[in-house]
Amino acid sequence: MNHQQYWNPVLETLPQEEIRRIQLQKFRRIFKWAYENSRFHRRLYQEAGIKPEDIRSFDDIRHVPTVEKSMMRPIQRKDPFPYGDALCVPLEDVTEFRQTSGTTGQPVYQPDTWADWEWWAECWAYILWAQGYRPTDRVFIPFGYNVFVAFWAGHYGAEKIGCEVVPGGVLDTKARILKIQELRPTAMMATPTYVLGMADTARNKMGLDPSKMNINKITCAGEPGASIPSTKRRMEEAWGAKVYDHAGATEIGAWSYECTAQSGGLHVNEGFFLVEIIDLDTGQPIEEPGRQGKMVITALDRIAQPCIRFDSKDIIQWAEEPCECGRTFRLIKGGVIGRADDITKVKGVLLAPSAIEEVVRSIKGLSDEYEVIVDKKGDVDQITLKIELLPGYEAERERVEAELKDQLRVKTNLGYRLEFHEYGSLPRYEVKARRFKDLRKMH
Amino acid sequence: MDTKLNLEELNEKIIAMKSAAIELKKMANSFPAMERNLVRILASIKMLELNVSDLLPQNSPASSSRT
Repeated sequence: MNHQQYWNPVLETLPQEEIRRIQLQKFRRIFKWAYENSRFHRRLYQEAGIKPEDIRSFDDIRHVPTVEKSMMRPIQRKDPFPYGDALCVPLEDVTEFRQTSGTTGQPVYQPDTWADWEWWAECWAYILWAQGYRPTDRVFIPFGYNVFVAFWAGHYGAEKIGCEVVPGGVLDTKARILKIQELRPTAMMATPTYVLGMADTARNKMGLDPSKMNINKITCAGEPGASIPSTKRRMEEAWGAKVYDHAGATEIGAWSYECTAQSGGLHVNEGFFLVEIIDLDTGQPIEEPGRQGKMVITALDRIAQPCIRFDSKDIIQWAEEPCECGRTFRLIKGGVIGRADDITKVKGVLLAPSAIEEVVRSIKGLSDEYEVIVDKKGDVDQITLKIELLPGYEAERERVEAELKDQLRVKTNLGYRLEFHEYGSLPRYEVKARRFKDLRKMH
Repeated sequence: MDTKLNLEELNEKIIAMKSAAIELKKMANSFPAMERNLVRILASIKMLELNVSDLLPQNSPASSSRT
């Protein structure tokens, strides 16, 4: 065994039965902690009639009530300000404030102790080590260093590994590209939207080729793009680098990662998280590979504001095959496929916005940007897809349109009204993109 | 590598480090430079526990009820 291959050569290669034993042991510990220290959790569990000593098996865990983001907002109107009564530590022990992006409503505040923050960095160390980051890497982080957690934790994780970290904070996109050119970092972290946006700016506004800039690996977060094959391919071609996905969330932690073997999925860090997949219709757990369901997740070691059986709404599925990297942490196939909130029925057909992205970015001549609007025309659902032709492809519009219609029909079973917009006119995003709009609720 | 043997040995050292850090922290109540640095040291020791001590079975001395 090459011990340098794994961040934790013992934990990451344990047999699954051993991992399950550790997860149960840790679940009992975090449940007891929350029961004893959070008024919110104690109330929730007392109402369900569950005490810490009742948790003896995974079956018992499945009876523990889930928590949703919508439950956190009223909690945070209670004392102590601003976190409310899910806080498990004295306020003076909180050293970190972060908040969710508010994509699905009012943001949720997230307190962490210094030990929690170490834990965040530790989770990221697992991610980055698995993606080939080593102390010899110089890592550029083109991120606004604000109230959102993702790349703060990536920054600390890279430092923990021993990388040299260059914070690309308050710079505009052009200045960041010039800084990359100047310092020749070997790695970068950004959202897929911004990775593509930077490449576009470099090529089309600065006349620079990003693939010549020495970046050999990019870690993505915040959006599922790095697990969407056509988006991953575009990023890899643009930067001449390997692009790796990871999935995490403010209220959960950085819970999964792609490794250098790139087996078509993300490893769940099963030493630090318990992931359950729940059937959307029956509410029953899914253990077998290949069946999609929503994720319910527990962060087994986070203490200030525990995350216990959090209903994340992420749609995932277990992969059939283990990864060739030798890690025994299970893989979720294709990463996070979508969110239960986003997967919507249009004309009676289930539509995942990621499927549209996969098609748009697989077609030569289309820019990286697009927008999907679902609306009603009379009583009938209508989907409008706004796209841009890249400069120089105007003469190929007919070919692009035919290919696009064809592929959309094959991949999503739906017909679309296509709107071609002038290159550069659709919105560009720096962090999380909002390209999917369902206007039917407004009627 | 005999993983179990090594983990137990590693764990003993982690327990000793933690005891020393806790003891120092108790002695540092009017010495902020010590106290706050020990909070950080204890957080780092916790990461060692997550990576090593937690892998041992519950009845092992490593697996206390700490959180």
